Amino acid sequence: MIDFTKILKKEFLIYSRKSSSFISPVVFFLISISLYPIGISNDPDILKNLAPGLIWITILLSTLISFQNIFSEDYEDGSIELLLASGQNLSLIVLTKIFVNWIFSCLPIIILSVFSVFLLYLPTEGLKPLIISLLIGTPTICLFGALAGALSLGKNSITGPALMLPLSLPVLILGTQAINYSLNDISFSSNILLLTAILVFLLPIILFASVGALKLHFN
Amino acid sequence: MFQALKNFYHKLGSYPWFYKISGKVIPFVGVLSISLIVISSVWGLFFSPTDAVQGDVYRIIYFHVPAVSVSQVIYYSMSIAAAVFLIWRMKMAGVYIKSLAPIGAAFTFIGLLSGAIWGQPTWGTWWVWDARLTSTLVLFLFYLAIIGMQSTFASRKSADTAVSIITLVGVVNLPIVKKSVDWWNTLHQPASISISGESSISSEMLIPLLLSILGVYVFVFFVGLLFMRAEISTREQNKEWFKKLSSNS
Repeated sequence: MIDFTKILKKEFLIYSRKSSSFISPVVFFLISISLYPIGISNDPDILKNLAPGLIWITILLSTLISFQNIFSEDYEDGSIELLLASGQNLSLIVLTKIFVNWIFSCLPIIILSVFSVFLLYLPTEGLKPLIISLLIGTPTICLFGALAGALSLGKNSITGPALMLPLSLPVLILGTQAINYSLNDISFSSNILLLTAILVFLLPIILFASVGALKLHFN
Repeated sequence: MFQALKNFYHKLGSYPWFYKISGKVIPFVGVLSISLIVISSVWGLFFSPTDAVQGDVYRIIYFHVPAVSVSQVIYYSMSIAAAVFLIWRMKMAGVYIKSLAPIGAAFTFIGLLSGAIWGQPTWGTWWVWDARLTSTLVLFLFYLAIIGMQSTFASRKSADTAVSIITLVGVVNLPIVKKSVDWWNTLHQPASISISGESSISSEMLIPLLLSILGVYVFVFFVGLLFMRAEISTREQNKEWFKKLSSNS
């Protein structure tokens, strides 16, 4: 039996020592957030309406930078091959990898999205649903990222993003809708519950699919 | 009966048997599908009554509805084939998915295009971000992802498995997409044909519509067989049975 705290620790060390893995999504997010007012309009009224969607789309796109990190290094140095050969249950290991990837690539952006209150004039009552929906929605996106990353290992092709972005559509819709609801004084709890349901429902399916996809690369 | 069905299923997995049988079936299916499509088009375009509200524009329904409905059915059939491939490792299921994906993508595209042409005079716009249009667009993107994934793997078996995984994940996700866009926005009219209840369309329009739907389904069967034969002959071109077959003819 593999000690999972060890794997968790190893993943943490790898990510924390490779600063680009968590800095590049953050930089991408900050740059895009500051480009929107310049490219669209600096009118607070327009930006206020666009803010929920802009933040969600930016997070979605910034995960495109990081999703290849989940497996690519382990694939190149051969550790995935060893894990597969060891006959262990890979889905828990994959889950650990996705979790650590989420902590380093999504969590900093979620914290930074607080600044959208100032930069995109998001009303303060929209902040709570923004944070909650991001906390529950982004793990699902990371799951899709893991599947896309596992399928497109070692290939630099458009198929990974082409697979991941259409899959993420429900999360995007429910997430932005939650913020818009709360801005219009409608209860947003149903959207949060649905996001949670999607996460719980898809978690085992995507884990198995990702493990199956990883096995494909080693015949 | 069950034994015969089981036998048929097992035979279906064999390339030479399928190649032989499909060669015999194809001419009949081809003639049937083309004549059905011609009959239903002529009937729908010239003889069925003009719509009271939309005028003659509505006649595009005889292309739009069959294309959209078949595009969804193809996807669901591909997902069944994907499950068969992953569970029983039946090679033919991989051939099926690979051959049907471009056909499904083409019909989804026809559905989107005819819908846009229909939308321009009736809604006054080529495209709206309506629930059904959006979920059909997502279906189209899934088809493209499946087609794109075919070429990223060197080995045929790996590619088939990868595509099966994507197809299954897609079929799990498609209802979620459909529901979420339903909550998001709806402008498209609800379905006019219902199998169990009363259809909201007059029978003079309904019969050619059903004929055109049938015609397109048979057409997909026909083209699907052609594509699968082509795929089999690419995969098996160096095998003994195929060489024997091509030297005889």
